[in-house]
Amino acid sequence: MDTPDILVELRHVGVAFSAQRRLAGSRFWALEDVSLTLRRGERLGVIGRNGAGKSTLLRVIAGILAPDRGSVRRAPVSCQLLSLALGFTPHLSGRDNAVLSGLMLGLRRRDIVARLPAIREFSELGDFFEQPIATYSAGMTMRLAFSVAIQVEPDVLLIDEVLAVGDAEFQQKSGAALRARMAEGHTVVLVSHDEAQVARLCDRVLWVEHGKSVCEGPRDEVFAAYHRDLHLAGAAPVPSVDGVVA
Amino acid sequence: MRQHLIELVLFSTYAELRAERARSYLGLIWWVLEPALMMGTFWLVFDVIMKSGGPGYLPSLLIGLTLWQWMKSCMTHGGYAIWSNLGLVRQVHLPPLVFPIVAMLSDTVKFFYIFALLVVILWIAGYPPNMAYLALPPLFVAVLLFAAGVGFVIAAVVPLLPDLRFVIEQVLTVVMFLSGVVFSLGNVPSPLREIMALNPVAVIMDASRGILMRGEWPNWVGLGKVTLISIAACLIGAAVVARLAPRYPKLAT
Repeated sequence: MDTPDILVELRHVGVAFSAQRRLAGSRFWALEDVSLTLRRGERLGVIGRNGAGKSTLLRVIAGILAPDRGSVRRAPVSCQLLSLALGFTPHLSGRDNAVLSGLMLGLRRRDIVARLPAIREFSELGDFFEQPIATYSAGMTMRLAFSVAIQVEPDVLLIDEVLAVGDAEFQQKSGAALRARMAEGHTVVLVSHDEAQVARLCDRVLWVEHGKSVCEGPRDEVFAAYHRDLHLAGAAPVPSVDGVVA
Repeated sequence: MRQHLIELVLFSTYAELRAERARSYLGLIWWVLEPALMMGTFWLVFDVIMKSGGPGYLPSLLIGLTLWQWMKSCMTHGGYAIWSNLGLVRQVHLPPLVFPIVAMLSDTVKFFYIFALLVVILWIAGYPPNMAYLALPPLFVAVLLFAAGVGFVIAAVVPLLPDLRFVIEQVLTVVMFLSGVVFSLGNVPSPLREIMALNPVAVIMDASRGILMRGEWPNWVGLGKVTLISIAACLIGAAVVARLAPRYPKLAT
């Protein structure tokens, strides 16, 4: 690495998937040519339309997918995708699932055990914490899942559109917890198609289109270019039901 | 990093066993009841109906099936483990071998329950524990390494070719019949017997019956060869998994 501050650097990265499960099936490139530089303490937002390759990009940064072309350089840091309900098993108690999920997310066992009271508290499950999660409602499961995931403190936190889960009240709480986490000065990569959210939470933005990075830079500059392009592409404003232009 | 993986493997094994126990009404009892039903079937067919068993057939069958069940479940459960965990492989960066190892460890724990029962049954049937039992730990290590070697190789390729599962089940059934699991190789005429005795599974069967029924020390040279072949298979399997690992997260389940 040139600078010690650079945690992750992608250069002209491409990732191809097989179109079908055949021996000689054709391939499609979910990412074609993406470059980015992530420095310590940066909060990078990734924007782009559906199918632009944003989630694939996040999995490359996390080290789950290896690039088929181009290069990825990563400082010796942990990059963890904020995955909800990772490894959850229906017949195990909330407590056991919290430990299992925490281990999968890269926590040491003693760290999870130390955080179990906080997880139980945050999830608002009460005595259900000791019950098998097969007895939980979907909302309760998501509350437990989020409470575990928010305990993980990797060097680089990767978030894919899961800023708020559960009912309205818990959405507020989980969203606030995550924003607090981001504000603590952690290095974060946030993928979202919610522009307002990216604008509020990130200071740098990467714009990805059809698997290619279009531009990367300070938030306002990239957004300006992004909107200019949307406008030029003739994306007609969508009228909402009551006739007000959205 | 390594300690973290050990914690993950051990807790996942505990979780797997616990979840399996909780899934069925009889829970733990099935670990023993299922192999017992299978043993009953073979005993009925080969001893009662076909009368091809001869003296000492029942204990010999019990030993053979107990060990074979352990090997087979390690090979199949371990072999399918990466494939059945592709959902996790897509979401988190973990060494893929974690999944087969967890499956094999939980099958091994189950085996020890069944084996304890087997020892009690053998004792009642007139085959008490003897000094040669001291050879059981190295024998078990050889069995586990052999099953792991085969299991790792299967685990490496099944995610890419899930159709292989249908073939593997059939091949393992053939291997069971060719390895003296349900009948002793002593009944097979020479020179076929010598050829079949080269099979690692047959060596394992022979050694375990010798220890448990006759108090004989195993053929260490034969067992040593099995262990070496198994270690080689483990290394090959692990290498193939490492080689194919970048492709697993891209596969659809």
